[in-house]
Amino acid sequence: MDEAVRTRGLFKRFGQQVAVAGVELMVPKGSFAGLVGPNGAGKTTTLSMITGLLRPDFGTITVDGFDVWADPLNVKSRIGVLPEGLRLFERLSGRELLLYNGQLRGIPRAQVQQRAEELLRVMDLVESQDKLVVDYSTGMRKKIGLAAALLHNPDVLFLDEPFEGVDPVSANTLVEVLQRYTASGSTVIFSSHVMDLVERLCDWVSVMSRGQIVAQGPVQDVRQGRTLNEAFLDLVGARGHGDGEGLSWLGAR
Amino acid sequence: MVGTFVRLKLRLIAGSLRGDLIRQLGFGFSIFAAVVCALFGFLLFSLTRLGSAELALQIGSSVFTLAVLSWMIVPLLAFGLDETLDPSRLALFPLTTRQLATGMFAASATGAWPIASLVALFGGVVGLARGIGGVLLGLVAVPLVFALCLVASRLVTTALSGALRSRRGRDMLAVAVVFVVLLTQLPNLIINQGLPSDSLAVFRSTGDALRWTPPGLAAHAIADGGLVGVLDLLILAAVVVLLGWLWIVALRAALVRPDASNQGGSVRRSRRGGLIPDGKLGAILAKELKYARREPRGRVAWFSAVAVSGVMLFSLRGSEGMSGFGLVVGPAVIAAIVIGVQSSNTFGIDGRSLWMNAVAFGTERDLRTDFAGRQLANFVISGPLLAVVSVAAAVLAGNAGWAVPATLLAWCVLGLAMGTGSVLSVISPYTYPERMNAFSGAAPGQGGQAFVAGFGALLGAGLLALPVVIPTLFFGPWVSGIAVLYGAAVAWGGRRIASRIGFRRMPELLAAVSRPT
Repeated sequence: MDEAVRTRGLFKRFGQQVAVAGVELMVPKGSFAGLVGPNGAGKTTTLSMITGLLRPDFGTITVDGFDVWADPLNVKSRIGVLPEGLRLFERLSGRELLLYNGQLRGIPRAQVQQRAEELLRVMDLVESQDKLVVDYSTGMRKKIGLAAALLHNPDVLFLDEPFEGVDPVSANTLVEVLQRYTASGSTVIFSSHVMDLVERLCDWVSVMSRGQIVAQGPVQDVRQGRTLNEAFLDLVGARGHGDGEGLSWLGAR
Repeated sequence: MVGTFVRLKLRLIAGSLRGDLIRQLGFGFSIFAAVVCALFGFLLFSLTRLGSAELALQIGSSVFTLAVLSWMIVPLLAFGLDETLDPSRLALFPLTTRQLATGMFAASATGAWPIASLVALFGGVVGLARGIGGVLLGLVAVPLVFALCLVASRLVTTALSGALRSRRGRDMLAVAVVFVVLLTQLPNLIINQGLPSDSLAVFRSTGDALRWTPPGLAAHAIADGGLVGVLDLLILAAVVVLLGWLWIVALRAALVRPDASNQGGSVRRSRRGGLIPDGKLGAILAKELKYARREPRGRVAWFSAVAVSGVMLFSLRGSEGMSGFGLVVGPAVIAAIVIGVQSSNTFGIDGRSLWMNAVAFGTERDLRTDFAGRQLANFVISGPLLAVVSVAAAVLAGNAGWAVPATLLAWCVLGLAMGTGSVLSVISPYTYPERMNAFSGAAPGQGGQAFVAGFGALLGAGLLALPVVIPTLFFGPWVSGIAVLYGAAVAWGGRRIASRIGFRRMPELLAAVSRPT
């Protein structure tokens, strides 16, 4: 099985706090992979390090067999990124943002224009293509961000919480585009809190907890007959705090 | 409650310094500068004791007024000295407006620069008091003036915070503030035109007029030291209370006003697209030109460059001691410095969007192209601007032929400033605050870096300019032909060094310009 992404002993510490403690992530080529974990598990930190936006303290990362920190040229031309928080170049219009991104990656202008127009149409952004990104809603931002990440036809796409704060219609558009993209043999890796969505979309899942991968493999193997949500709660060991001792004052009148 | 706010402010400062050596050095430098300013301010102000009582009062009134005015204006303009809390962050806590107001008042008094100005103001007690009564009144008057500084400063920022937060308001206000700055230059211009010859007399009459302003009342109270002084202080205290009340009203309004900044219209598609070459350089050039037009900071920067050159044009004309070619080249060169120094935090404007470049740049060469595009965009706007300033200055000086060397020298200085600016952009990058303040300043704790970047760019460009300035003085204007090549070479070398450093430091660079504000 070919590996799209492989990390070995990935480690990152912020001051006293260890955010990522030896992550061994593996995602096979052509998979639609979900990276799940509770808040603070280190998902965003891991994705930032894999995409070359954050320097790891230790560990190696390869994307399509190329080392991210030793061979950035080969990696960066092969990946598309949609980080969390989603600050784009706010003072460009959606269309200008796509043109800028495409040309920055060395694609000729005519070709960028053609791709941008198709992407805008698929993403249902034709009407707002000349509005400034600063005035976009969350769903529109995620869509234009995804369009920008897809523009240079990457082999591997990294998405951090792509569905958070997105309305159902936009989410559906995002899902359709992504499914079409993986059907052609490309790899998608996205982080999410929404287990149902991961269960429905993904064929591969990696579960993170406290800076480490606690389970990883095809979704059926990780589930083992349970729903993914149950499997997840068991794996991260977070059951039974909500109904136990304490909090007796809550709701009491 | 006051203690909590002070601790919060101190903790914010301490937290932003953790684990970053350059930031700690910058902070240390800014503390050092504050201590020096405090001591020198105190000493100089005390020296007014040596003059006559009348002169001392005039100086005292002027200094106090100046202190209040600069507290009102500097936080809006200057680099990151104002690191106070954003009231809208605190809106959801169950605090009464009074608690919020006293807390934020205490928080704005916490810090090196507020303490420094308090110390310097106390110099006035030494300088002005002529008896034990004056000293006693001074011990009340100086804290009152300090309180006036804080309250006035808070009132201005809070009253404008609504406008500062909305996108359109920010754009409008940005331009308005440049006008305010221009107005402050007006007396200077008038004096330079040489209307009154005796500048001391002008100063004295100003001082006499300022004696009736609230800070002037404080100066008078210290000098008087008697019952009239007490009355002065009562009036001053009333003014402080009134401004404080206005501030509370403004704060209350600012906390509940909705953010109406998201109703934007469409932008026109560029018709000049065909003029800009295809490829990476063209893409960066096009983006930078759009940002200069659409980003409020870009507008302010360019508008102030125009304003500064205009002011220089007229104020240098009347001044003594400068003549001939110096008069022609002065305005253009100063405008070039103002424009060039703006490039000393070139990634700050991108801020948290910089990742889009970072994920696309696979080689050092890409980053060099980025710098080249930014410098080119800068020159596309400032090149003609500097030429116009030079021509105007040359025509005013009566020798139109000097326009050519003046333009070339200004371009040279622009190249020097852009070259050093590129290097400083990767050595000392910082985040521009997103909301409170559209003009400049840095994220909490990064004031030191902002200072290093701005000051470093000035110093670097100044030192690099020496090999041009000295030959020009000796051999005349026509050295400028070589100078412009020299400027271009420095800009090229600057972006070469900067891209070498910057490409290795890309993750750190991203973190430095993406700090929460």
